[in-house]
Amino acid sequence: MTIFMTFRIALKALNRNKMRTALTMLGMIIGVGAVITMVALGNGAQVSIEQAVQSAGTNVIMVNSGNFSSGGVRQGQGMSNTMTPDDAVAIREVPGVQFLVETINNRGGQIVAGNQNWNTHVEGTNVDLPLIKNWPLESGQFFTPTDVLSASKVCVIGTTVKNMLFPDGGDVVEQIIRIGKHPFKIIGVLISKGQSSVGQDQDDVIYAPFTTVQKKMRGVTYIESMTVSAASADNIRQTSDAIAAVLRVRHKIQPGDSDDFMVRTLEDIAAMRTETTKTMTYLLASIAGVSLLVGGIGIMNIMLVSVTERTREIGLRLAIGARGGDVLMQFLVEAVVISLLGGSIGIGLGYGLSRGLTQFLQWPTYVSPQAVLVAFGFAAGIGIFFGFYPARKASALDPIEALRYE
Amino acid sequence: MSLISVRDLKKTYIVGDIEVRALRHVSLDVEAGEFLAVTGPSGSGKSTFMHILGCLDRPTSGQYFLDGKDVSRLSKNDLARIRNHQIGFVFQGFNLLSRTTALENVELPLLYNSAASKGSDRKRRAMESLKLVGLEQRTHHLPNQLSGGQQQRVAIARSLINNPSILLADEPTGNLDTKTSIEVMDVFQTLNKERGITVLLITHERDIAEYGTRIVAFRDGVIKTDEKIANRRIASVELAALPPVSVD
Repeated sequence: MTIFMTFRIALKALNRNKMRTALTMLGMIIGVGAVITMVALGNGAQVSIEQAVQSAGTNVIMVNSGNFSSGGVRQGQGMSNTMTPDDAVAIREVPGVQFLVETINNRGGQIVAGNQNWNTHVEGTNVDLPLIKNWPLESGQFFTPTDVLSASKVCVIGTTVKNMLFPDGGDVVEQIIRIGKHPFKIIGVLISKGQSSVGQDQDDVIYAPFTTVQKKMRGVTYIESMTVSAASADNIRQTSDAIAAVLRVRHKIQPGDSDDFMVRTLEDIAAMRTETTKTMTYLLASIAGVSLLVGGIGIMNIMLVSVTERTREIGLRLAIGARGGDVLMQFLVEAVVISLLGGSIGIGLGYGLSRGLTQFLQWPTYVSPQAVLVAFGFAAGIGIFFGFYPARKASALDPIEALRYE
Repeated sequence: MSLISVRDLKKTYIVGDIEVRALRHVSLDVEAGEFLAVTGPSGSGKSTFMHILGCLDRPTSGQYFLDGKDVSRLSKNDLARIRNHQIGFVFQGFNLLSRTTALENVELPLLYNSAASKGSDRKRRAMESLKLVGLEQRTHHLPNQLSGGQQQRVAIARSLINNPSILLADEPTGNLDTKTSIEVMDVFQTLNKERGITVLLITHERDIAEYGTRIVAFRDGVIKTDEKIANRRIASVELAALPPVSVD
């Protein structure tokens, strides 16, 4: 018997029990659909991380203070106050460094303009920030070295802050806002960047000269971190190593002692996040996989019922010349048809669900061809695995006994 | 050389701790073209004997020559091929596939015959087979739309499709009324006479057995009597004598 005919017989048999076939298939549809959706979510997160890194530039190096240890007790990241503007001056001289901004944040403090108010943190930074972040202004301009040198109370704001403080719109440059108890003059508005890859509103920012945050707001002399851009992405590794070497000398760290700072490229950070995303994807996919397994057990259950129900049919087929192998194939193909058909519909469902999540919840999703192939293969595998036992049972029937079965 | 020749056939079942000797030392020759009726009470071993003759079962010992070839030690798959090519089966309960047309039911054995894989060819042969039993008007009916006699004729058509040399009928009239029984026996007699098909008929009814040319009676696993039938019943004559009422 040709495989084509076996398929036709299987389709006919499944067609005779439409409701049962549909319900059995539903298990596979939901299982495969869930796996596809979960993997699409994971892949989507990964793709958006990759895109974020690409748009931010692959040549960005983050220098954070951290790992401060006092007598063997390690503090968390950012807990040491050993990084200073002088470090930044030294790092600017490292070959390969193109731009550098010092960063110190001021948290808390209500921001007030007229009868509106808002709360966000103020990031103290330096003049090259728009260049490093590749972030142009929609109006006004960024602050100048003179503003930094003189610690002027000027600021550049993102569009979210602008909309919160000035809901009526209009030109906000030259307006005065109050941050905590300090009046700041707005000198520029950044264009909208939208959400970041982790869903953070990138436009909810206020930038001020870091010197202003240090001296006027926080009353400190250290900085929290630096963002460096390397001249080219090719030798970013050497550049970040050189920065670390300079800092070690400046901070008098003995060989063998742990650093009180951390130098990471944006790629390192992305790799870390990708790792986390992967773990999440695996977790979600395996939970979804459980429903696939349940779908498979459903197939096995129905096939067993079907074999018992059709014992006489099997007996007849054997009597008129079907070999055990023919009967085995017939039932195996029935199981595989259920699982493959269910799997295909499940792939469609998963694709639709993923599109829906992106459309209505703005979650990034990506249905990769590999995921579809794997899901399809998995569905076939489940059909064969769970269909084999009932099919074996059918093929091992004794024709005489089977014909007598009531 | 006989078409069927069995020598010293034995079949023993083990049921729990008890050994059941269903057949003991059975020897028999059946010539091509015979119409053999096998009778006997239940438990006499006639069913076991027919299952072995039908290649559905293998003997514990002894030999079974079918068309000169010893088939008593063949593998399951080889037996399946013999069943498909050389033997046609007709059962008491018809055993038609439900929700499957008469034509498709008749086609069924061809699906397991590698020599007949073309769809149009299968259809044509199934039509011919249905014509032989006079059901060419019912090809697309489902079993539940056919009378018992018609269903049995579909089953006979199915058994004929591979041009078997032997037709094995296991209580073919057991579910049918008298008149329909005569009609079915007429089909068997016609096939036996006109196409030379050897018919092996199992029945426990003596009057049905008398449509054959020879009666073999089983008792306790052995052949008790083996006789030619003197006054053979002829179904076509009996049908002609019946009042003309259409069954179809």
